[in-house]
Amino acid sequence: MAEYEAVIGLETHIQLNTHSKIFCSCKADSWEDPANTNICPVCTGLPGVLPVLNERVVEKAILLAEAMHAQVQPISYFDRKNYFYPDLPKGYQISQFDQPIAVGGQIDLPIPETADPDGKGYVRSVRIHKLHIEEDAGKTKNARNQRLVDFNRCGVPLVEMVTEPDLRTADEAAQYLIRLRQLLRWLGISEADMEKGNLRCDGNVSIRLKGSNVLNQKTEIKNVNSIDSLRDAIRKEIDRQIREVEKGNEIHPWTLDWDEDTGELRKMRSKETEADYRYFREPDLLPLRVSSDWKKEILKDFPERPLDRRQRFADQYDLPMYDADILTLERGLADYFEETVTAYKGDPKKVSNWLMNDVLRMINDDHLEPLEMRLTPVFLSEILQLVDSATINITTGKNLLEIVQDTGKAPAQIVDEQELAQVTDDVQIREMCLKIIAANPEEADDFRGGKESLIGWFVGQVMRESRGKADAKMAKDVLFELLKK
Amino acid sequence: MQLCDLSAVEIRDKILSKKTSAVEVLESCLERINQVDGCPGSIDSRPETKEDAEKVHAFITLTEDSAREQAQSVDKMIADGDDPGPLAGIPATIKDVFCVKGTPSTIGSRILANFISPYTATPVERMRLAGAVLLGKVNLDEFTYGSSTESSAFQPSTRNPWDTSRVPGGSSGGSTASVAAGEAPLSLGTDTAGSIRQPAAFCGVVGLKPTYGRVSRYGLIAFGSSLDCPGPMARNAKDTALLLRTIAGPDKRDATGANLPVPDYLALLEKEIKGKRIGLSPDYFQITFPNLETSEYIQQPVPAEIMDATMKAAEIYRQLGAEIIEDVPMPNTRYGIPVYFVISRVEAASNLHRFDGVKYGHRTENEISDLRSLYRRSRGEGFGLQPKLRILMGMYVSAAQYSEQYYRRALQARTLIRRDFEQAFDPNGKYKLDALLTPTTPTTAFPMKDVYGDSVIMQYADQLTVPANHAGVPGISFPGGLDSNGLPIGVQLLGPDFSEGLLLQLTHAYEKATEDANWRLERPAVLREA
Amino acid sequence: MSKSNQEISRETFDHLVELAALELGQEESEYLHTQLNNQLSAVHVLETIDIADDVPPASHGVPYTAQNSPELRKDEWDACPNSDAILEQAPVVDDGYIIVPDIPHTTLE
Repeated sequence: MAEYEAVIGLETHIQLNTHSKIFCSCKADSWEDPANTNICPVCTGLPGVLPVLNERVVEKAILLAEAMHAQVQPISYFDRKNYFYPDLPKGYQISQFDQPIAVGGQIDLPIPETADPDGKGYVRSVRIHKLHIEEDAGKTKNARNQRLVDFNRCGVPLVEMVTEPDLRTADEAAQYLIRLRQLLRWLGISEADMEKGNLRCDGNVSIRLKGSNVLNQKTEIKNVNSIDSLRDAIRKEIDRQIREVEKGNEIHPWTLDWDEDTGELRKMRSKETEADYRYFREPDLLPLRVSSDWKKEILKDFPERPLDRRQRFADQYDLPMYDADILTLERGLADYFEETVTAYKGDPKKVSNWLMNDVLRMINDDHLEPLEMRLTPVFLSEILQLVDSATINITTGKNLLEIVQDTGKAPAQIVDEQELAQVTDDVQIREMCLKIIAANPEEADDFRGGKESLIGWFVGQVMRESRGKADAKMAKDVLFELLKK
Repeated sequence: MQLCDLSAVEIRDKILSKKTSAVEVLESCLERINQVDGCPGSIDSRPETKEDAEKVHAFITLTEDSAREQAQSVDKMIADGDDPGPLAGIPATIKDVFCVKGTPSTIGSRILANFISPYTATPVERMRLAGAVLLGKVNLDEFTYGSSTESSAFQPSTRNPWDTSRVPGGSSGGSTASVAAGEAPLSLGTDTAGSIRQPAAFCGVVGLKPTYGRVSRYGLIAFGSSLDCPGPMARNAKDTALLLRTIAGPDKRDATGANLPVPDYLALLEKEIKGKRIGLSPDYFQITFPNLETSEYIQQPVPAEIMDATMKAAEIYRQLGAEIIEDVPMPNTRYGIPVYFVISRVEAASNLHRFDGVKYGHRTENEISDLRSLYRRSRGEGFGLQPKLRILMGMYVSAAQYSEQYYRRALQARTLIRRDFEQAFDPNGKYKLDALLTPTTPTTAFPMKDVYGDSVIMQYADQLTVPANHAGVPGISFPGGLDSNGLPIGVQLLGPDFSEGLLLQLTHAYEKATEDANWRLERPAVLREA
Repeated sequence: MSKSNQEISRETFDHLVELAALELGQEESEYLHTQLNNQLSAVHVLETIDIADDVPPASHGVPYTAQNSPELRKDEWDACPNSDAILEQAPVVDDGYIIVPDIPHTTLE
């Protein structure tokens, strides 16, 4: 069998998390609301109404464009995309067609070892074709041979972002979505929850002989609502196309619907008969002008992009890429890490370990916002310093994390109040060791008889006696000395 | 003379000075309506009676009860010493293209015959807040698509008060007829190609199409969204100025509204005319239209009586000290209608997509099992011929494969039309015009059924008015005499962007200069025996 | 009638009618077909105008400048006071949903 490669382009629809809809003052998010309660004359397309553009939509779209290295256009236009569908009350969607808000752009996707057939990992550069602003449609569902229409979602602001056909595997497509979701949350412009439809993805898939440059007939996969489903759907479609070509069949430009329940692709409609949308300029809206001053204002506090920060963490703090990756999954966590490192002044890897092993669990278990924790970066750095200076031992240090988070008190104060300071006084430890040996003559005999592995047990007894405060290493040394006598 | 025949300003002043009350004025208007209007337009067809043929039929929906409440409230405010607003107690009619909360808002179409709007259009809301007494909704061409009001699904359609065998013009025919017949001193209408100015000319009233963006379009059921302008109609310039001042100005619900302050148009009326430069263009003294048999273009001069009225107006302005500039070239005027055939249809077809039997309006009563049939049936039954024609035309010329040939080219030709005006009005240019004086229409009111059905010839009735819509500039039509049939002749002034104040001032000056003219004594036929 | 009056064939016309979601009677259909061709032949005069390529298309007549353009809307939520009245206009409503006939599915091949 010949060797094939897939050519994949993705179109993502991103719901922006504004307060109000794109062209009216209804609230943007009506996820839990009863049908047709979050509507007004404008978003239901009553006769005579007019759209008025929400400025925050433009601002959020520009943030995304900047993050993708796309060129924001000083002037762009809204157009009407005309078609009949019950979820589209005006009979046209206000969108941007030939002169969208931003064009071009690129993202360099790190593809992990696990997604690389060669097991090494690599970078896939994906070019962005364009980003445009548009309004979301309503929702319909089937029940008893009828269709039920809910307009609550009509007019939720969307950015549609289209890639060039630069992806080559289903795993790469999944990585694109993973990184996009991370970026959207990082910028705070979308909730990016695929289950709620905040982030939706269509995939264009074709195949060709490896090494070829031609673009063959493609199919379009729609209605995929999770990253796993996208990977799954694209894999299945690539396999199907290979089977067809191997059989000598042609690939038809079908639109395929992903059925989440059965995990299968179904054919929707033939592209050849696709409606002519008869785009034309939306006369109800003026050209969208983005002055350089406005753009500057929008990008004033533009954050370092997550993948850039990931690389910098690896370089600047000498962290393994694995650590850098996890610490930059979420912007709050990355900020937390850096603030802790700054306050701590010690080994960043140690901060990373504490964060990834312990603090992250607290964050995940209780759904905490890292920078809003009572265990502030400064307190975390204090705990690390207390451990470093052997004021407390590691166990005490780790226990302190929860206590600081619960009480909001400074670590040093808690150590003081609860007398948690490590017992490093030779006399005290010697006393405790003598007491333990005296209380356990059989074990002491066994030890002396050669069963030296019991030392760990003895240390444990001393730690218990000291309520965890004893310097374990010192206790071990003293125990050896006393038992060997 | 009855209360209802007074001007809006006179009515308001009498009410404010307690010489009469808003309720008395209202009753006078209702009595006039009762006398001359006949049965309101209805979608339930019935044979036309002889009496129908002699009535005006301006109304579709008369909102007598709410009008009385509004009038009483104005009277109460005055009694309480409160200010009821600049339109205090002035009765007004509203073209049924505007949505008014709780009122049937039909656009003269079967497809919206049962639609009760949940909200009110901005200009109507501003009138209401200013104290106007809204009498109800008046007839129009279906979806405003016409120049005679005959295409309304609500029959009998409006007749011309000067001669009820003739059309009132359109599409704001109900508005101008109601004003001419003394049913109300003010009416609010819309102008997409001449729909205020042409019926104003036919009915012998003043009609002003403001600059695009001067008056909010929010709540006006859209035809050609880049052309539609709400505007006032009245029996004189002063009343027109009063209503324009009330409805004009930015609206947060219209993103194409001009963000400019509104001048006090009334205060501008008495300003000096001297030194104003008023142009005449040969391109407005002829009409050009296709002969459908030969596809050749026929050029015809505007009829002599209409030309004379226009030249007489020029002479009056000259006597008032204005400078008359002749031979101003407006070479792209002749393309106004073809351009309009494309642009307005593309926008209309899209604007009519929303009428599908799902959310409001007519839904077929036939048993329907699939969605597409529901659309086709509901739209097929609900739309009359004119909307259907515009939808098909719009869809054809905006189809991907023809869009470049037709739509883009039309938009470029629109630029050329705009440039004609820019050059004429350029303060540093050759002509430096303050206004262009033209006939409003190529004919006076034509007999009913004469033109109806020929969609091309009907459209050419707008040839002298439509360029202003393409260019966005303001235009006003005012009565400039009567023809030999005793029908009103309209004279038009076109001005640069946002020059409504000057157009009103010029109209006012003309009115004062001709106030003793014999033709001013004539009254519409429906009022003669009254 | 001249040839240009027949620009839109019967087939094209029927296709347009289908795209426009209009059900037409026979007589209506013939009238509209004729009128449509008449209007189109009136439009053809546009092809005779000498328009330079650099003449921009005008979406609006009046130019909008930074000074006269309205501001964009602030992102503020302001709930519609009478959304019920909107739903009341819908011909068929059940449990808050607007009801339409089903959309037939394309069967798998």
